[in-house]
Amino acid sequence: MKALLPTLLLLIAGTNLFAQEKAAPQPLPAVKPATEGKVWGALIFATNDASQLLGSQEKAPAHLGPLNDRLAKVFAFKHFEILGQHQQDIFREYESWVVPSRDLFLKIDSNGPADNGGVKLHLQVWRDQQVLVKSDAVLRPGSPLFIGGPKWKDGRLIFVLLLERK
Amino acid sequence: MKPPSEDHDLIRWLDGEMNDTELAAFEARLKDDPVLAKEADDLRALSAGIRDHLPAEMKVPHADFFNSQIQVRIAQMDLDEIRQKQTGATSLADSFLAWMRKPWFATAGAVALAVLGLVWMRPHTQDTAHSLILSSYTPGLGVEASTYHDNEADATVLMLDGLEEVPADRKISGISVHRSETEPEIAATTLFDAAGSPLLVISRDAVGHPLFLTNTPRG
Repeated sequence: MKALLPTLLLLIAGTNLFAQEKAAPQPLPAVKPATEGKVWGALIFATNDASQLLGSQEKAPAHLGPLNDRLAKVFAFKHFEILGQHQQDIFREYESWVVPSRDLFLKIDSNGPADNGGVKLHLQVWRDQQVLVKSDAVLRPGSPLFIGGPKWKDGRLIFVLLLERK
Repeated sequence: MKPPSEDHDLIRWLDGEMNDTELAAFEARLKDDPVLAKEADDLRALSAGIRDHLPAEMKVPHADFFNSQIQVRIAQMDLDEIRQKQTGATSLADSFLAWMRKPWFATAGAVALAVLGLVWMRPHTQDTAHSLILSSYTPGLGVEASTYHDNEADATVLMLDGLEEVPADRKISGISVHRSETEPEIAATTLFDAAGSPLLVISRDAVGHPLFLTNTPRG
């Protein structure tokens, strides 16, 4: 029964949420959870074959600069396409999910502010129900983390995580 | 003033170094030159006075010790000369060994190692320039994680190799999440799009695996 409880609660929450989707917007919680900062995460498809691109219109934040050029320095591909992106608060007390895609996503737990700026994090990269890697990291504002993920088609899936400047 | 040759003859006469011919000639000059004769008498009297007050021979004090020290010094100089002719490598090795024999060498070495250790550790702990991966663990068999910072891309890279490929016929789709709300009581997070519409709800099952609930079919 204990194992089923979170699923039941999730179903109840989801049912209520989508039932009220077309109703009035939900009010924000009275007390917003404390945060350590905000991250931007993106799932990117890298390929040399332009015909494989999916035609996504997603754009990286302007302050990140020429993301494709930076990716090309690390990954030997010609084309980089943002499939999905997610801007997410890093909660101080709770886990945070960065889900630009249900196929490849991140769970983040804050380990507190880092010395000399940034945030200490415990990262988990998930693919469906399988965790690919667990890492302890320090994210600095404006310094992206490129995670080389699994191969797909003739290319590769890449996860980009960036701590945004306050 | 007497010419130098005259002074020289006077001294040789006084020391008895002249042969018979020279002596006869010089004594003839003394008879003819009263000034020279007077000077010769004065010098002879002075010389006699000195001899009366000094022994005929003076013994060197501690002569054996003096000689042995000179011989030791000569031997040292010979050894130094031989060492200088040896190769540079040998000289460096000798110098290094000599340093290691110094009583303060161990302490100085420990301090130097500590400083080097701090310098080596510093980039891992106090680097303010870029993001860092401190540790990684890949539970999957055959999966390896490597990390480095790429200066040209100005990015930290976590490369996962050995992952199972995603089947080519599987459709990978993304979403664009602009906002999220977390409900701590049920450990669920709702993700919203730019229009404020909910995209999906994510939570965890009993063993910590993610659970998704969405109002749109996958893919």
